[in-house]
Amino acid sequence: MLSRWIISTLTCLLVAPAIMAQSTLRIRGSDTLGAKLLPQLAEAFKKQAGKVSFDIAAEGSSTAFTNLASGTAEIGMSSRKVKPEEGAEFRAKGRDLQEFEIAWDVIVLVVNKNNPVSDLKKKQVLQIFTGDIQDWSEVGGTPGQISIYTRNTSSGTYKDFMGLAMRDREYGANSQKMAGNEQIAAEVGANPNGIGYLGLAYAHAPGTKIVSIDGALPSTAEVKKYPYARPTFLYTNGTPTGTTKSFIDFCHSPPGEAIITKVGFVPKSRAK
Amino acid sequence: MHDAPPPERTPLSTLLLKSQRRTFLGVDKQKAIRSFFALNSSAAIIVLALIMIFLLREGVDFLPTYRRELTTYRKAGLEFCDLISRPLAKHQQLCSRLRRAMSASLNTITQPARLRRDAAYQQMREVEEQTRLQRAVLTNQLALIPAPTPEKLSAARLELREATRAAVNRLPATPFLTPAENKQLKRELSLLSPETAELPVVLSLLSSAYIRVDQEAHQSFKPIVEAVEMFETAPDSLHELLDGLKKQARATKELALAEYAAANHKPVDFSGRAAQMTSQIPEISARIAGYISLAEKASSALPDRAGTAEATELLQEVRELLPIHLGEMKSAAKLLPEWRHDKRVTYFQVVVAFFFGDAWITNSSWQDFFGFVPLLAGSVLIALIAVLIATPLSVLAAIYTNQFAGAREQDFIKPIIEFIQAIPSVVLGFIGISLLGDVIKDVSEWSWLQWVPGFPIQERLNMFNAACLLALMALPTMYSLTEDALNNVPRAYIDASDALGATKLQTVFRVVVPAARSGIAAAVLLGLGRVIGETMVVLLVAGNRIAIPDFSAGPGVIFQPAHTLTGIIAQELGEVSRGSSHWQALFMVGIVLFVISLLVNWCARAFVRRFELSKS
Repeated sequence: MLSRWIISTLTCLLVAPAIMAQSTLRIRGSDTLGAKLLPQLAEAFKKQAGKVSFDIAAEGSSTAFTNLASGTAEIGMSSRKVKPEEGAEFRAKGRDLQEFEIAWDVIVLVVNKNNPVSDLKKKQVLQIFTGDIQDWSEVGGTPGQISIYTRNTSSGTYKDFMGLAMRDREYGANSQKMAGNEQIAAEVGANPNGIGYLGLAYAHAPGTKIVSIDGALPSTAEVKKYPYARPTFLYTNGTPTGTTKSFIDFCHSPPGEAIITKVGFVPKSRAK
Repeated sequence: MHDAPPPERTPLSTLLLKSQRRTFLGVDKQKAIRSFFALNSSAAIIVLALIMIFLLREGVDFLPTYRRELTTYRKAGLEFCDLISRPLAKHQQLCSRLRRAMSASLNTITQPARLRRDAAYQQMREVEEQTRLQRAVLTNQLALIPAPTPEKLSAARLELREATRAAVNRLPATPFLTPAENKQLKRELSLLSPETAELPVVLSLLSSAYIRVDQEAHQSFKPIVEAVEMFETAPDSLHELLDGLKKQARATKELALAEYAAANHKPVDFSGRAAQMTSQIPEISARIAGYISLAEKASSALPDRAGTAEATELLQEVRELLPIHLGEMKSAAKLLPEWRHDKRVTYFQVVVAFFFGDAWITNSSWQDFFGFVPLLAGSVLIALIAVLIATPLSVLAAIYTNQFAGAREQDFIKPIIEFIQAIPSVVLGFIGISLLGDVIKDVSEWSWLQWVPGFPIQERLNMFNAACLLALMALPTMYSLTEDALNNVPRAYIDASDALGATKLQTVFRVVVPAARSGIAAAVLLGLGRVIGETMVVLLVAGNRIAIPDFSAGPGVIFQPAHTLTGIIAQELGEVSRGSSHWQALFMVGIVLFVISLLVNWCARAFVRRFELSKS
């Protein structure tokens, strides 16, 4: 009788931490996803699934892969595809990186509200951000030196914008690296000669104005036609199981997609 | 007789204190307490040594890693491409000037029409912005499947119409349009709805008027428009060739990286691939020559005068700068045959590339460069401005409280100045972003201050803004140390001065301050040390532009944004993968920062030593 009691206590002690560890999902990576989208998805998932706790930290897409590789995260969120060298690191460790496209994000160009320029050509955008065009009068605006606000080098948006809009050329030396979307919006709103890029969810900041690209305004309806739209991903270490799997399934379910739409992203199934 | 020696007596003190002399492993209580205190004082030294070892261990590998990367950069032929594309980048700067001259010229004709058009569009945007909520409601209703009831739809429409009308009524009439046009515009704007795609009639009329005027302007400035176009397209064929080469070089680099990552990968044939690139030298040279002749032709086609004086000046600048740029292109073409892919990259070159490199480019898809100068320039310039602001404030405040103020005033001023130290730096950073930046910007727009170089400023976040906050942070340190230095002036000096009949002012400025000179210098230096190591404020407020400040702007340079040594570590260290060259480069920056702080502190101590000598 006593021995059975001891054994059951021991089992409880041994199993309890394992269960507790299972029910905490650590999510690391992109702050485009981690600022609003994932926390809201997590809240909704908690209501549905009950005893799960989330630990979300968003410090740039690169951290998704460093944390997954070191085993300090169950899910990595990234606003870009994994880089070949990052993938190679995983394979070298004998791990298998799984990728799930969850939503499309749109990079919106904004200028100050008082700037008469409201449409730019793709080439002009490239030239502005690489520093070739330095003055607003070169693109039909009021003369004045252009101030460029970009994300900082670790951000997935920084890298993605290079690929989407700059043909992989470097940012001009006059670009200023801001801490996040909010700060870019604030600076563009305060500087009549400013230009910057934001995620669609942040685009209606006070004092700023969205610029159309070759006449196309960013819209959720035809996201793939807008030149600066990109898919975003969740990554896991190997095929997901348990809570991780049910959370990822939840992101793809109709209630999950409703949240994705609400936050300003375009769900994968509706991206056209 | 032989007396037995007297029995050895234990000293009285031992007897008295016997009960307290318990030893443990040969250490008594006194010794134990002593060594405990010694241990505490050595903890700081041990920690310092550990920091140094840690920094060095992470950072020292940087040189070999960076050397390997630069070797790959050379071997894969990226350097070869940069030989041409670096000088070619100047072409765009010249283009930028020409485009500005052109648009200024065109503007002389098109401006009225453009202002009218832009004013009208601005009004439409304003209305759309103010009715955004109602517009979104209606759009959502229209997109719903199944369609909502007609009542609901018309309710949404009604709400939008009312909101639009209210917004239109709030609009001020623009001075660029005639009253009749203003009236018509308002009438049309109040009918705005997401359901109708076409523009209001006034707007399309204004737009087409602008397009007509723009075409006229292009006609009347035909020579300059054509020359600019010719100059812009001059390097196209060279760019095309270069893009091909770059693609090739990048492929080689990827192979090299794969070879490095996996030891069993088959070796890359660098010489073969480099030979493929160098075999194109004649073609490149021919295209460079073609570019040069086209550019010269375009430049000679430029008219002497443009539409405005400013534009004429820009054209003149281009005419002066073009020969220099073309000369650089020619010498680049001559360098090509001398380039060798297998020339060794020496450690000296790596050190030079780090300490004297003028570009800090990371997370690049072409090549990462870790050049230290832009960051150092930012840090040093900000620190100097901060010290320049803080020195008079703190020294004068210290002289006042120490020499002139009464006891009650001293009790009031000293704690307040010292309290500044308690403000967390991140709070100061917030003040810089949300308050000081706007204040500086607003002040710079005052018309009677326009003689100040750099005014009006463009960036809220700039070096001056950061320096003001840093000066505030350095103030308590510098104030307290200056006060100490003044206190340390021997009483006899002051008495002697008084005895000679000097006034209080004379005593202070001829005796006390000169005697405390080196102490004050030490205070300033320690303030500098405090400022150069500060991170949060510069990260938030300095504007984070990684470029050497443009000193051609004169003293106005202080209103430019910059990045700093501390800021770059804080901003980038969190996201780089451990052990990569970027990670190591950041540690190198840390080491240099550490050395700078040590040097500054050492200088301060040297000053203090001199000061103590003069006292004796």
